Amino acid sequence: MHQVEIATTQDTLLDSPEMVLNMGPQHPSTHGVLRVILKLDGETVMDLDCDIGYLHRGMEKIAENRMYTMIAPYWDRLDYIAAVSNGLVWVETVEQMMGLAVPIRAHYLRTILTELNRIASHLLWLATHALDIGAVTVLLWALREREEILKIFERQFGARLTCHAWRVGGMANDAYDDFGKDVRQFVNNFPKRLDEYETVLSENRIWLSRTVGIGVISAADAVAIGLSGPALRGSGVAWDIRKSRPYAAYGEMDFDIPVGENGDTYDRYLVRLEEMRQSRRIIGQALENLPDGPVNAKLPKVVKPPVGDYYHSIEGPKGEIGCYLVSDGSAQPWRVRVRPPSFVNLQALKQMCVGHLVADVVAIIGTLDIVLGEIDR
Amino acid sequence: MFWGKLIDRGAMLLFGPINVLNDLLLKAFSAETINYFVWPLIQIGLVVTLVAGWVAYATYLERKISAFMQARLGPMRVGPWGLLQPIADGIKLLAKEDFIPDKADRWIFFFAPYIAVASAFIVFSVIPFGPDWAVIADVNIGLLLVLAVSSVGVLALILAGWSSNSKYALLGGLRSSAQMVSYEVSMGLSLIGALMFARTLSLSGMVYAQGSDSIWYIVYQPAGFLIFLISGIAENNRAPFDLPEAESELVAGFHTEYSGMRWSLFFMAEYAAMVVVAAVATTVYLGGWYFPFVDRLEQSGNHNLYVIVSLLVFLIKASVLLYIYFWLRWTLPRFRYDQLMDIGWKWLIPSALINIVLTAIGVFLIQALNGWRGLQTIEALSQGLNLTAYGKIIMIVIGLISVFITGGLLSRINWRSRDFNLKTQRRNIRLVNVAKGKPAVEAVQQ
Amino acid sequence: MQLKTPKSTLVQKLKRFLFMDLVKGMGLTLKYNVGALTDKDSVAGKGIYTEQYPKVRPDVAPRFHGAPRLNMDPETHDTLCIACNLCAIACPEDCIDVIPMDVEIIVAGKPRRKKVLDEFIFDTSRCMFCALCQEACPTSCLELTQDFELATYSRAGFVWNREMLEQGRETVKYTS
Repeated sequence: MHQVEIATTQDTLLDSPEMVLNMGPQHPSTHGVLRVILKLDGETVMDLDCDIGYLHRGMEKIAENRMYTMIAPYWDRLDYIAAVSNGLVWVETVEQMMGLAVPIRAHYLRTILTELNRIASHLLWLATHALDIGAVTVLLWALREREEILKIFERQFGARLTCHAWRVGGMANDAYDDFGKDVRQFVNNFPKRLDEYETVLSENRIWLSRTVGIGVISAADAVAIGLSGPALRGSGVAWDIRKSRPYAAYGEMDFDIPVGENGDTYDRYLVRLEEMRQSRRIIGQALENLPDGPVNAKLPKVVKPPVGDYYHSIEGPKGEIGCYLVSDGSAQPWRVRVRPPSFVNLQALKQMCVGHLVADVVAIIGTLDIVLGEIDR
Repeated sequence: MFWGKLIDRGAMLLFGPINVLNDLLLKAFSAETINYFVWPLIQIGLVVTLVAGWVAYATYLERKISAFMQARLGPMRVGPWGLLQPIADGIKLLAKEDFIPDKADRWIFFFAPYIAVASAFIVFSVIPFGPDWAVIADVNIGLLLVLAVSSVGVLALILAGWSSNSKYALLGGLRSSAQMVSYEVSMGLSLIGALMFARTLSLSGMVYAQGSDSIWYIVYQPAGFLIFLISGIAENNRAPFDLPEAESELVAGFHTEYSGMRWSLFFMAEYAAMVVVAAVATTVYLGGWYFPFVDRLEQSGNHNLYVIVSLLVFLIKASVLLYIYFWLRWTLPRFRYDQLMDIGWKWLIPSALINIVLTAIGVFLIQALNGWRGLQTIEALSQGLNLTAYGKIIMIVIGLISVFITGGLLSRINWRSRDFNLKTQRRNIRLVNVAKGKPAVEAVQQ
Repeated sequence: MQLKTPKSTLVQKLKRFLFMDLVKGMGLTLKYNVGALTDKDSVAGKGIYTEQYPKVRPDVAPRFHGAPRLNMDPETHDTLCIACNLCAIACPEDCIDVIPMDVEIIVAGKPRRKKVLDEFIFDTSRCMFCALCQEACPTSCLELTQDFELATYSRAGFVWNREMLEQGRETVKYTS
């Protein structure tokens, strides 16, 4: 952690010395236990440093001592808001390393449920971001929509949040009886709700004045830092792993990726709202074309990928979630490294915040959509 | 006829005991003492009870209304529909540990909440809840007294922030007080527009002026009402102007270190100040206790009933304004502090000043047009400026035109403002559809 | 830096002058306020979405990963557990302890030893409800039920033995 330098002498009598403010780990708006050390001149942020590690649980070390199929429930706890995508990256890494062919019905169901998970994650993002900026009602409305998705997850997987959704080779259970009906009902009700959020926020002059021009990052800088997900697309770079390296059934889906222009908070907000609409489109298509068949492949007695290493990543709601797996041929991995999107996105915080006011730091942390479970693992 | 008799009987039953009490008191004190001392004390007791109850149930209503707006239920467990919730909250706060921070300034820490509550409650002595005995003291500089006394509340904030001996409380207190002071200027200035019609600073006089003109001044002064209401909301540190109190920043601003009953006194002072602004706005712009056909009760001889119905009219109007407070809080995001101060100094004060100038021109025009080519615009000048129907129409038109002129001048003054201007800032994002399997990176813009 | 915004028409300027963007949002909250009092549809409409929990029990899905239970044969009321230890091996958190014992049975006239279940310890405080144990059990004996109210007053209360697992726990159901 680099030391934040503060001036200890004053050049003239009118200089006010710079102040170090600690937005500590316990803070209503830092989305978890993130400690941000701000160097302020009055209210303007001069320098910023993040102190992370308060939620370190040793996930990667735990993974070295468990068998491959037993690691999947731990992976849900990384990005605990969108647990289904985390599970997906793990099982897909193992499957691709082993060369296992997953049945097509499982691919389609994975697509549907992962897109539902993306909508759920973006809804929580919207809820907390709006709450930080002051529009409390949107929090409650977005959580109501998210509740519908969590009910679908509960009926399908058995748990709402940390679902343990996927198994190596497919899924544990086929879609439950009313799956199509529930998902279709959600898909039909959802655009109206999105329009409601837009009514309250998108043209609201207070919202615009809090988000336009705040936290700007240019496309070149975004690519240089390694941003991914909506943070990257908001700056104008059209990069989406679902399009460039399709996985699951995305190769057969017809959808657009929203790309912003100015790289500010407002663009990222619009990008995420539009992504929710596109997710709805994907779910509709996948549900229409859902093939029949089995949902899991035949696995060997003990899952043992061949010796070697493998990196696989998917487009999670917050960005590119990756998993680098080094196997030594035994039943337990040699090393697992998670590439968390929030960790890399957080590197951009300093560049986005310097020059803005303290009240904007909260908005910028919200727009990066970080979750400390991933950052600290 | 039947209803008339029933109302008379009811009034006799209701007010009989009051006459009996009056006779009893006359035996002990002189008539003067009773009229200027004993009855006002009873009035004060009633008003304080009424306002304290109103404030307590305003917190309950805020929770219920915000819950309904958010598709949830609000308090439901304590009492039927949660109606005993404020009482439960009060008992809880009384039972909390009463501590004063270690190096805090004891006496100032002790007195700050009382100053806040006192300044909020004193104002109610001049507010006309109704015509005759429903106002405690009809001072002839009532409006000035309201503005002056509510300014004392700012002192309480600074004292609370300072005496807490905490960096965040001090910063929060200074910010809140700077905000309140800025918005008091536009609050005072916006009232001058309505004053030009009422021609008296006495709040009761304003209501009588609106009554004798059979109009509510909001019709003549839409801009003034808006400016007053927005300034009042900012004065109370309520959303969307509540950044000094927002949790995401400085925990709780100036009352961070307060807990238990001391904190609840600040809370009550905030809600009482809201009720003050609502009551003053009702009195000056919404006609106070005046409502078109209620004075027929007075004419048919039911004086006390007339007073009670007028009181209800006043309470309903003030409650509508309180609903607007809750409505705004739970819909709109909050402003950043510098945007907040921008609005106060660069938008509201110039618009209040422009409003004064344009209203003065309007009143001058009305008086000049009086008698021109037989056009009668003014009816009477005794109780405020009473206009004829023609006069009213002309005044309303002038009011609407001045809204647009104000808007135009403001956007000229603030041509450099990036945040608040007339350009719509809604942007659209483009959708990219790329062939499957191909990398979708487009040229990185430099 | 220069932000790109589109040019606005006169109608848009007028709308912004008249605060239409704020009024739109406020109109929606007003609709919700009125809808909360009148509308019954909370999923598609504007009704109340709250489930008043202790009075109204939630609808839990059949597949819910809740409290564990050891099932018994409905006719013989013997446990279905064959003490195979597969659930303990499958558990990532090592919270299951299966203690077998040997009993003597007569099979075709010859005395044989059979392994049966003696004691089954399940630590619900360590459990992450991943249901790997439920999937591993070959006789559908270990099942995660729909019970989610697992709070106890002591740490020891989290460690369940065979009797608690077979009979379940009585939860207090509040009616008011």
